[in-house]
Amino acid sequence: MDELKFRRQAYSEPNNQDPDFLNATMESAEREAFLNDLKGLDNKIERALKVDVPDDLAAKLLLRQQLQQHHSQRRKTGFAFALVASVAFLAGMTFTLLRMAPVDLSQHALAHVYHEDKALHADQNVQYQDVNFQLASLTGGQNMKFTQQPGKVFYSTYCDFQGVQSLHLVMQGEQGKVTLFIVPLEDRLVLEEAFADSKYKGMGFETDNAYMLLVGEQSQDLNFVKNEIKQTFI
Amino acid sequence: MFDSWRNKKSKSTVSSDMVSKQRRYDSLVRALHADIYRFAYWLCGDKHIAEDITQETFLRAWRSLDSLKDEKAAKSWLITILRRENARRFERKQLNYSDVEQEFIEDTFSGSTEEHAEQHLLQRQISKLELEYREPLLLQVIGGFSGDEIAKILDLNRNTVMTRLFRARNQLKDVLEQPTHRGQSNG
Repeated sequence: MDELKFRRQAYSEPNNQDPDFLNATMESAEREAFLNDLKGLDNKIERALKVDVPDDLAAKLLLRQQLQQHHSQRRKTGFAFALVASVAFLAGMTFTLLRMAPVDLSQHALAHVYHEDKALHADQNVQYQDVNFQLASLTGGQNMKFTQQPGKVFYSTYCDFQGVQSLHLVMQGEQGKVTLFIVPLEDRLVLEEAFADSKYKGMGFETDNAYMLLVGEQSQDLNFVKNEIKQTFI
Repeated sequence: MFDSWRNKKSKSTVSSDMVSKQRRYDSLVRALHADIYRFAYWLCGDKHIAEDITQETFLRAWRSLDSLKDEKAAKSWLITILRRENARRFERKQLNYSDVEQEFIEDTFSGSTEEHAEQHLLQRQISKLELEYREPLLLQVIGGFSGDEIAKILDLNRNTVMTRLFRARNQLKDVLEQPTHRGQSNG
């Protein structure tokens, strides 16, 4: 190793442990002294660089991180909360809007008859007092009642017309059974006087307090029940 | 029941992950905060800015601690973050550069004894080194990095690093050996 290379290495890296460099150092006492001199300088540099570190720096670093952690967790829970809240809000809005949409009673009545097939097979022989009792518990149904038995009532239960609580009755017509829905008056309900599909015929009329929807297979049955209701229902 | 058992288990795994992450961070802070702070100090020349940069560095380190796979590489990883933080400081406040350079290094030593005076002189001189000479020296002496590692951190060729280290020491040695220049260099 020539002198220039040795000196450059000594300056660049006095604590170099490379065997070539160490051997080169031992070649002469002069080189050794030169290197020791540089090592001495390096010790001084090292001491000079060792400025005081603030005592509480480590504690501060930990604290800062803990706070950050805490904040991000709070932010996360805050975010989750906001998410849940907006989902709930959206659900609420959707539900409310759905409830406000106009309801086509006739379609709903037909659908309901198909859906609640067991009603047409029931034979409970319900007394009109019981029907009145159910009527009274409907919203806005306090003033509705049958004054006497409107023929035979096979079935009577509450049902839901898109959020409007109603009564679902099955009554005896002239020949076949007739389904009667009593739906308390409400603005968004749309009533058709006559409706039908391939199997059933329906008719609707309005009393003082409620919509009456009749669904049956024969028109005579519908008219028969309609007359009965007009005589017995207030 | 199975669900709740599973939930409990995954929750405890998450929290034990957090605990181990916290432990890693704690030991990182304890082991390296002094070196990182000193490096920052000699990079910017101001105690308070050095502390700020150190804070930012460790905060960033915490956020991306998962990306540190090899604990042995922790120091060079932190220094890389720190250098980026320092560079960002100049992007934010470009005017500050000259300010800092002028009022570089505070009088932390009284300089009453000769040894202290010499150390003080050396500190002043180190702070006056061009950054391109100063930085490799800091990495070598404070960081204990080899020439290759410094070259990697600074994204330089190894020979360039060696040349800069040579010049850095050469300048410092000159100053210490020519006390007559002391007044001038202090001025």
